[in-house]
Amino acid sequence: MCDLFALSAATNYSAPKSLPLFAFRAGRNMDGWGIGFFRKNRAYVEKSAARAYFEGSFHDGFQRLARVISSRFIIAHVRLRTSGPVDECHAHPFVLHFKGQDWIFAHNGKAPAIESYRSKKVRLEDAVSDSARTFEYLLDGIAARYERNNDIPGLFTAVADTSRQLIEEYPGSYNYLLTNGWVLFAFSNHRQFLFLKGSEKLERGLLLTTVARGLSEENWTRIAKKEESLGFLTAIVGSDILLRADI
Amino acid sequence: MCDIFALSAGVNYTAQQYLPVFAEKGRRNMSGWGIGFFRDNQILIEKSSEKVYDGEHVHESFQRLARVVDSRIIVSHIRCPLSGGAHTADNHPFALSFLDHVWLFVHIGVVEGIENYQTTNEPKIDVDAYPARIFEYLRDRLVSSLRYASCESFGRSLVKSIRSLLADYPGRYAFFLANESVLFAFSNFRQLMLLREAESFGNSLVLTSIKEGLSDKEWTAIKPKKETLGKLLVVAGPDVLYLGDVAEGSLV
Repeated sequence: MCDLFALSAATNYSAPKSLPLFAFRAGRNMDGWGIGFFRKNRAYVEKSAARAYFEGSFHDGFQRLARVISSRFIIAHVRLRTSGPVDECHAHPFVLHFKGQDWIFAHNGKAPAIESYRSKKVRLEDAVSDSARTFEYLLDGIAARYERNNDIPGLFTAVADTSRQLIEEYPGSYNYLLTNGWVLFAFSNHRQFLFLKGSEKLERGLLLTTVARGLSEENWTRIAKKEESLGFLTAIVGSDILLRADI
Repeated sequence: MCDIFALSAGVNYTAQQYLPVFAEKGRRNMSGWGIGFFRDNQILIEKSSEKVYDGEHVHESFQRLARVVDSRIIVSHIRCPLSGGAHTADNHPFALSFLDHVWLFVHIGVVEGIENYQTTNEPKIDVDAYPARIFEYLRDRLVSSLRYASCESFGRSLVKSIRSLLADYPGRYAFFLANESVLFAFSNFRQLMLLREAESFGNSLVLTSIKEGLSDKEWTAIKPKKETLGKLLVVAGPDVLYLGDVAEGSLV
């Protein structure tokens, strides 16, 4: 199973401690890695089909990027392939420009049903995985619910409703990070996220990961789906969990 | 009645298109004004006890500030005589540091009894104006709720704090509460007007209590429903993250 990492902070931040720890603790993921971030509200992704960590060594590029990238949101993914080929194109995160904003998306889970989804508005060229289609589906759903200058349900509500519909139309296991550079959404219907705010050992800001025991021996908070719900969604801005809902 | 204004954008943005119009339309409020904004995550506040609009002209300093202040979040308040003394310090916005942020607060409305509220936390706002007590009250409740539960939902804690405020001190409230990244807006009596500007106009969002909005564009009216405790908006960058009734068992 792939693993996810994010750092969110009120100002630009680097993750030179937590990103290598993430690669190390998620070491069983051997089919690629990627790091997404924002610079002046434009999204950038660096990714590779190589291992982020192997036999005591970090991928040189991964390690250097961990030291250098500075952004209010940093999203990282290490991949264990369940859908699509093993190549750089299919490593996460993915980026799409949509409705005037850049969006970054990273996913783990398994949802073969959604591979047949075809968006009419947005397309991740060359990517054939369930994750690529999930990203397109989410942006389509958000756009349909959150058009500018119409009624205003709120972006959080739009993402929550789209995620609910996603699970109903295309059943599967989904665990994703989605950000437009101003807010980070974290959703899961099958795995837990671990959160840590104000770390003394790693970076301050808000850290989150799917790695089972977190990235340090500190007091990580676990958030998982409740039995009676379809999943949970959080909205993170700066170093705060701003909104949280069971779907 | 006083008036309030807020701008939230994805990048630092200047409100020169809106702040002078806000001053002109709020001209009946002649007891001072204030503008608060963020620079390098620190708060800067400029305020005055002079009229924001006098002799058919917007106050010169207000106009200059409108042109120069650039920030992802800008809040402003023009004041009627109801909300406290006549000194510059009595004018909004007020600022407090808590929960790892510096916060700006502006308020309009009438609340009886809260002027006697004694905060249990430091710092106190050294101003004899009841909106300062409202801000301290909200700070106290939020700190109490989130100090040892940093991964709880801030929105949910704010809703609980507002419910508690309305139970302890019933009254008319409309306020903006903002840190460097997020803007909360609450009203239980005044309609707020909202405009989301497209990317070509700076990808920003503007909120005001001026009932007709600040331009000829299509402003959305946000009206508190009578059967609820009020309306809450959560804004990040140019996006409304959440808009809901405080009375609901809501998403926050």
